[in-house]
Order: sequence, then C-alpha cells, then structure tokens
Amino acid sequence: MGSIEYFFKPRSVAVIGASQAEGKIGNIVLKNIIFGSKDNAQMGVQNGFKGNIFPINPQAEEVCGLKAYGSILDVPTDVDMAVICIPAKAVKRSIEECGTKGVLSVVIITAGFSEGGEDSKNLENEILDIASQYSIRIIGPNCLGVISTYSALNASFGDAMPNKGPISFVSQSGALCTSVINYSFEEHLGFSNFVSIGNKSDVDDADLLDYFSGDESTKCIMFYIESLKDARKFFDTSRRVVRDKPVVAFKSGYTEEGAKATSSHTGSIAGSDVAYVAAFKQSGVFRAKTLSQLFDSSRALAYQPVPHGENIAILTNAGGPGVLASDTAYSLGMALAELSEDTVEKLNQVCPPTWSHRNPVDIIGDATAERYEESLKILMSAREIDGVILLLSPTARAEPMDIAIRTVDVQKESGKPVTASFVGMVSQESENYLDSNGIPEIEYPERAVFAMYALIHRMRFLKKEGLM
Amino acid sequence: MSVETEKNEKISRAIAEALGRGQKVFNLEESRAIMELAGIPFNKCGLATSAGDAADIADDMGYPVVMKIVSPQVIHKTEVGGVRVNIATGAEVKSTYEDIVKGVLEQVPHAEINGILIEEMVSGTELIVGTTTDPQFGPMIMFGIGGIFVEVYKDVSFRLIPISANDARDMMGEIKGKALLEGIRGLPRADPDKIVEILENVSKLVQSHPEIDEMDINPLLITENGIIAVDARILLGDG
Repeated sequence: MGSIEYFFKPRSVAVIGASQAEGKIGNIVLKNIIFGSKDNAQMGVQNGFKGNIFPINPQAEEVCGLKAYGSILDVPTDVDMAVICIPAKAVKRSIEECGTKGVLSVVIITAGFSEGGEDSKNLENEILDIASQYSIRIIGPNCLGVISTYSALNASFGDAMPNKGPISFVSQSGALCTSVINYSFEEHLGFSNFVSIGNKSDVDDADLLDYFSGDESTKCIMFYIESLKDARKFFDTSRRVVRDKPVVAFKSGYTEEGAKATSSHTGSIAGSDVAYVAAFKQSGVFRAKTLSQLFDSSRALAYQPVPHGENIAILTNAGGPGVLASDTAYSLGMALAELSEDTVEKLNQVCPPTWSHRNPVDIIGDATAERYEESLKILMSAREIDGVILLLSPTARAEPMDIAIRTVDVQKESGKPVTASFVGMVSQESENYLDSNGIPEIEYPERAVFAMYALIHRMRFLKKEGLM
Repeated sequence: MSVETEKNEKISRAIAEALGRGQKVFNLEESRAIMELAGIPFNKCGLATSAGDAADIADDMGYPVVMKIVSPQVIHKTEVGGVRVNIATGAEVKSTYEDIVKGVLEQVPHAEINGILIEEMVSGTELIVGTTTDPQFGPMIMFGIGGIFVEVYKDVSFRLIPISANDARDMMGEIKGKALLEGIRGLPRADPDKIVEILENVSKLVQSHPEIDEMDINPLLITENGIIAVDARILLGDG
C-alpha cells in the first residue's frame, strides 16, 4: 500500500465526475479545488490548489474553465490524486483506470456502498481489491472529502476552507466537518488537515493518526468517532502517537446494551463504553464528552504550553466568576495554588487592600488593564503557580482590548499557559485578539477552566510516562 | 524449560483438554489450579468426597472453615445453599457435609456432586479482579471493590490487556473505594505492590491464553496475612 501523504500533498488532482452544472457534487468539489471555497468561487478569487487540476468528464470539452478529459487515462501528465463523485456503479471502472494511470490516492465521495445493502458491500470489496492490486489508498466512500490548508487543497463539497493552523481533524461525520469549519472561524481556530473519513473502507482512523503524528504542521489531532474499524489498531497507534502529540477524541454513542449476557460479574459490568474509556485512559487520549469540550481542549492543547505542575491560579475582578471557576476546577480534580507569602506581598504592592489575599485572586471590580497586567506578571512568575485562568467581568474601568493585549504579552514571555474568559462577551475585538494569539478565550468561565484541565491532563500523562 | 514456561504449558494443556471435552466453564477448583500456576495466591483448601474425609481435611487446616459444593451444574453456589461458612468443629463439618449435598440435590436434582471443598476461612475487605473480552478491543481487565454487591455499586476500573504496572496503579487510584485499600477503621491494609503483581499476573495469564474469554476472582481479600483469593471462575471462548 502506498503513502497516505498523497491525500494531503499531491502534486496534481483529477476530479472524476467534474461537472459544469451548479449544485452538483462534481461541480462543487472542482470549484473548491480551484478556488478554495464557495465564497472565493463566487468572487472569482482563485485561492485554491496550485498544482495541476484535471476535470474528468466524457461529455465536456471544458469544465469551470479547465480543459476536461474523457477519462483519467487521457490526461497527458501524471496524476497523484483523484476525487470520485460519480454514481456508485461506475466507481469500479474508475478505480481500475486510476490504477492503470498510476494514481496514488483516491477520495471516493460517492455514497451507496457498505452503508447500504449486501450488494453495495460487495461492490465496496471489489473496489478495495482493485485498489490494493495497484497500491492505491482510498478515503471514503460516502464522505465529504479531504482538506489540507497548507496545500491550499479543498477536495471536499463543504462550503469553506478553514484557516491554516496546528490542528488536524478526522471526523466520521461529514456534517460535523462543515460545522466545525464554521465554528473555527468564530473561534479563530486554525487547521492543517480535515478528513471526512466516511465508510473507512481502506484508510482508517489509525492510519490517519499515524500520518498526522509525523506531519510537521500538526500539533494536535482531533477525532470525532462513532465507531472504530479496528479498535486494537487505533489503541496501539494512539499509545505511540500520544507520547509525541496530544490527541483529543469525541466518541459518541454511549450505550449500556454492549454489556454481555453472561454469568461472570466482569462481563456483566462491562458495557460498550467501558472499553473506550479504558483505551483512552491507557493511551493518554483526552476524551471530550461534548462538542464544546472537543473544541476547548483541542485549542488549549494546540496553542498553549503544557504546565510544569498541578497548581493553577485564577485571576478575576469579581467574586462570582472566581468561585464558579474554582468549583469547576475542584470538580475536575484540579489543584488551586496556595499563594506564597512572597506572592501575596507582591500583589499587595499593586492591588488595593481589599484584594482577596488568596486564590482565586480577586483584584476587585475597579481593576484596570494595568493592574491586570501587573497581577498576571506576579502570578506567572510565582514558583508555586503553573498556569493562570484569567477571568474578566465587564466593568467601566476594565478596558477589554487593553487587557487582552497585555495578557498575550505576559503569557508569551512567561512560557506558562493561560486560558481566559471575558465573561459573557461574544465576538468582541478583545476576544478575537486573544483567540488569534493562541490564548483560548471562551465566554463561559467553566469552559476556560476545562481548557486548562486538558493541559493538566497532558502534563500528568507526560510525567507518568517519564516524558517530562 | 523455565519454570514459567512449564507452568504456562500446564495451563495450556488444561485449557486444551477442557475445550476437547466441550467444557467452557472452569469451576472453582479448576480455575484455582490455573490461577495458582499463574501466580494468584489462594487460601488453603482441599476437596472432600465424604463427610469423614471432610473432617480430616478441616482438622489439618485448622478451624473455622468454609465448605462449598463442587458440581459442574452449579455455578452460583450460594443461591442453592451450596456454601456454608464459619464451621468450627469436626462434628459440625461432618453434619454440614450431608446437609449441603441434600440441599443442593433438592434444588438441582440432576447435579453431579464431585465433593465438597473445605477451605481455610479468611476474611477481610473484598476486592474483585476479572477479565472479559470486548467485541472490538479484545481482552480487558477489571479491578474494584468485590463481594456480592459488585454489580450494584460497580466501583471498578477497566484497562485493556496487557497492562503495565503503571496501568495497575492507575486502576487502584481510580476506584471510589480506594481508601479501603489503605485499611480504614482497623481493617487490614493492602500491600499495593502485591495488588499490582496480581493484576499483572492476571493480565499475562489472559494474554498468553486467549481462549480465556472471561474470569472473575471474587472475592480477592485483603487479610491480615496478605492478599488472598477465595473464589474464582474462568469461562472459555473460542480464542
């Protein structure tokens, strides 16, 4: 079998079933490859794939301004990757032709294979046989496609191309891929690769995990899993990969029905989710239980440094959010740092006497951006503190953008992690500034705590494995 | 041949013979024989095939003792009156022997009675160690608070087999009743290294013998004299 790399760094791409007709999958995919996104296509901005693009369509001379070929065999130069968007019954012949042509990677977007009946399943197997004869790797069928931002390659029928960044995402749900891209603009998350994995007929979760572990642009690997094709392979691969890069998984489908009807106690307790829980814990994969946890943990792990120890400080200008955050921290099993005399003394110098004198560090409702900066500096340089959760409740004296700028500067200098919540503030300039500078900012304090928790989890894993 | 290999071959033979007979369940005695070879410590015991025999074994062992029915048709012994505890004299052992056999035959008329197991009676905090086979991930090991309420409280932790010593320690740290391992309120304290060793041995046993589909060691007791298994069952699959 060939290399997975050709899905993400091909030199040339053919679209089999490329179409001039608006709204057809073969039209959307081709335009995404040429322009990068639907918006770009509408504006005529060619921000897409820079290598050769070959529309394959026996009925057309030209599609979307590019010369079309009747068959991939008619293309005069090499083709690395093909995206197939033709009806299921015609796919077999296409794969055969891809093989003859020397294509290395094929994305089959077409549905109607093993997710359908027995005949369709057989068809999928026949296609796999042909692919393996020619050492072609296949993603799909029944998927949204593949996006590689660093190759400016949007080989999918989604609307948009996400921004470049450190996260690679593999999703068993195609719909979730498009939703995640939309969220990612709002939250200023950047991605290196996006894979809608479909039926996983050939390339599966573990293969992609393995590939992304070696991909330089990927710092954090994010999964949406409904079921694993080869659970042990995923476990063994993740055990190895997590030592190098954080992996976050959202596994859906909790059920109790997996518990066996058996006479052993152990068998009757073990429901279907138990094995996933065990596998994730054992391999160090961070499990997200909600979509918001998936985002919050992935962005923290992708953008923030891992703390050196357990002890977190909460910096706030109001009591309520501070208590709320510390409750969340305790319930997650996190430790709040006890301030040293030295730290208290330093904070006395920059805060009014009414500051809390303990963690959560409440620097009072009249805190200015300057007081935030000085307090944050003191906390970040304190030896007893490994990371800071910064909370800001809107007041007349606190200038959010000013605080955001200073927070980013202090965090960069200290090398310790910061997560933040500007409580209740959505889509503000300050929020955008923090997000785009890698500090996870979420309008709910609990979620900022959870983002820090993901970093603590990572630190614990690395320490347990003797890696830090 | 190393002692280790020799023990492993004995286990393989016992499993192959059972499968050859179409037997899928190992009773306590058979399970115990296998687990002792795999390095799981059990209480002292002996199989009696008559009332007199039972008294002799108990005399040698010291009182009190536990008596348990041994019959391939009886899996849940307590439910058919097949287990009696705290038997303190030879005379009581003899009369209990007859009582148990009679009682079991009334409830399970076709039960073959292989005898009655006389066991050293030990007590302490009840733990459970078990294994099962997940249809997707394969063999898994479980550790937690044992006894008859294990399925009610489900205070257990799972890992995929094979496990490392680190995994075993994580499992011990994960259960809600972990304070019981430290020995609260005068109860005996568990040697954590010993539990780690038992978990690793169970993991190795299942890893080397994939025919083992499920097993329970319940209870595994924390006693004044160490960690001791007193009941166990192994279920075979197709490997």
